[in-house]
Amino acid sequence: MTRQSIHATGALAFSLLLATPTAAQEAADTTTGIPVTNQMLIESCDRCHAVDEDGMMTRISYMRKTPEGWQQSIRRMVTLNEAELEPEAARDIVRYLSDNHGIAPEELRPGRFEVERRLIDWSYEADSDVENTCSQCHSMGRVITQRRTREEWNLLMATHRGYYPLSDTQGFRRNGPPAPDATDTRHPMDKAVAHLTGEFPLTTDEWTSWSATMRPPRLAGTWALKGHDPGRGPIYGTAEIAAAADDGNFATELQYTYARDGEQVARSGQAIVYTGYQWRGRSFEGGSEETALREVMMVERGWNEINGRWFAGAYDEFGPDVTLVRADGPVVLGLHPVSLRSGSTATVTVHGANLPTGLGVGDVDFGPGVEVVRVIEGGSQALSAEVAASEDAAPGGRDVFLSGRPVPGRLTVYDTVDRIAVTPEAGMARLGGGNFPKGYAQFEATAFSNGPDGKPDTGDDLDLGFVDVAWSVEEYSAVFDDDDIEYVGSLDDNGLFQPAVDGPNPDRIGQRNNVGDVWVVATWSGPGGEEVRGRAHLIVTVPLYMRWEPWRVQELPGRFPRRTDR
Amino acid sequence: MDHLKAINRKAQRIQEHVGAPGAAVPVPEVGPGGGPAASGVPPGADPGDMDVVGLESGPHIPLGCSLVFAPGWEVDSTGGTAGLCQPVERDLFDCHLACFWPAHVPDQLNHAPDWTGKCAAAQKDWRKIDLIFP
Repeated sequence: MTRQSIHATGALAFSLLLATPTAAQEAADTTTGIPVTNQMLIESCDRCHAVDEDGMMTRISYMRKTPEGWQQSIRRMVTLNEAELEPEAARDIVRYLSDNHGIAPEELRPGRFEVERRLIDWSYEADSDVENTCSQCHSMGRVITQRRTREEWNLLMATHRGYYPLSDTQGFRRNGPPAPDATDTRHPMDKAVAHLTGEFPLTTDEWTSWSATMRPPRLAGTWALKGHDPGRGPIYGTAEIAAAADDGNFATELQYTYARDGEQVARSGQAIVYTGYQWRGRSFEGGSEETALREVMMVERGWNEINGRWFAGAYDEFGPDVTLVRADGPVVLGLHPVSLRSGSTATVTVHGANLPTGLGVGDVDFGPGVEVVRVIEGGSQALSAEVAASEDAAPGGRDVFLSGRPVPGRLTVYDTVDRIAVTPEAGMARLGGGNFPKGYAQFEATAFSNGPDGKPDTGDDLDLGFVDVAWSVEEYSAVFDDDDIEYVGSLDDNGLFQPAVDGPNPDRIGQRNNVGDVWVVATWSGPGGEEVRGRAHLIVTVPLYMRWEPWRVQELPGRFPRRTDR
Repeated sequence: MDHLKAINRKAQRIQEHVGAPGAAVPVPEVGPGGGPAASGVPPGADPGDMDVVGLESGPHIPLGCSLVFAPGWEVDSTGGTAGLCQPVERDLFDCHLACFWPAHVPDQLNHAPDWTGKCAAAQKDWRKIDLIFP
């Protein structure tokens, strides 16, 4: 059966099933919607979305979403339903809907990986049937970052079945009659609607509370910045946030340093804060488009912390996790490195903002068994000290104090490196460079000591932090004479996997693409010549031919930051 | 395997393969206490002590990830890529039912009715396939 004929079968089934709507058999949903007061929105959309005397617009008044969710809806209206909108008007409408038909911080938090574009393992624990129904085709994150009335959840299913008839066979409806002993004979999609209506209704305490007192965010000022850039390690610096003319708009000046190699970065950017807390920004180095990083962050309640992810790349695969902390006074951010072998001496740097200067040996305390030999350099953003761990220092983490202030994180003294963990444990890259962009995979290695019990992967293991390793690729032998390693791509000295070109490869049996799965191996070498290895599984697969990210426009090879030159 | 003797060709290949370098059999790679990489379990050591995280688990199947796509699977039912329909360009127009469709292709009902308009034979004209942004 061809894919086209499957579609035809699905379309027939769809038309037959419309005659037996389940929604009509349920009790009427009396949830009050959210009235629309934005004239631009009404004028742009009322050709299809009728407005009643209470200001309710069909569909629009009965759902709440993230800015990305609304942007995606508007794009669909333009591409499929002939909505006519100027970009400026579309931006205003996304802003209005995100603020007035948005979701509260507590509602977004479980699904924030979706808007932060994280490629992570995540399971929807509340109902595996619902997860199966939805994630046959897309992330559950898209589902749990929305709120709708029951009628709206039903209409969402109907829209899916209209646009994608295959969804019936992929998960919406069971194949054939229910099992003779089944107690619940509903189709998966009907179970899903019942579940989603209960778990993600339009009206919630969280939204009622948040929307009642939501106000334009007040974020102007100096913020201390800390983060972790996968493959490159910790970053520390500052962010100057200035309010722009419009409420909720900001300009940023960012400066930070990579703790491992001292590379300094200066970026300028702009941001809009939606719904009073959802930061969406973009920053550049020297104004160069090639260096653009999108910023998706949450302003925490209390207005003292902003955190999230900055990202770039054809598949949003690059970029650091970032936390900003208000820095009206001294702020201590963290340490680098975070571990020290017993009997050794090293330079340890405490990073922060507005730190007191002129500090001496007595002002910094690394805990029992660790002596501060001398302060090498002390500035307002970092203090470097030469520290020595005694031979008999007890293994374990120490709280660190700088001028009486606790330093986040701990300095861990260890005697041996027992294992190397490679993250992500399971990575995925996508072939590209011929017709489609490459999807890179960045790996990094973290060292662990087994701790007092001498056993790996137990609660007392000591995390020794990011370490430098030698990277290599080994065959993951899945079939006889497996030869994926020769074709999939290469791993550079920084743990960045660069996939091979897309398209059929005439050199492979059956003209296979350069797909494959391999081990990514990290080898750490100790001072005594000892070696410890760790490894992760890497899938190298085909490109995505259709991209849904609402901000994405046509991107072809060579037009996105590749970061292969470092 | 020491007490089993391969009596047919397939069993013989398995036997050879398991003993070969790079075989997909997890082997401990660090000794207790983080000493030099050792091959095999030293005499007297408990094999459980040799567990190394990242080596003890099998292949990881990214189905259920936060970014799954369909109809397309990055891996086959065993967690590898050997069972994918290959090359993907051959599968774009006529899905093979004996293998896993690895590509999420645009729907040609609504979003991209002309997606393959420039591409009469995808395996030959694959450079003309568009990337769709609905």
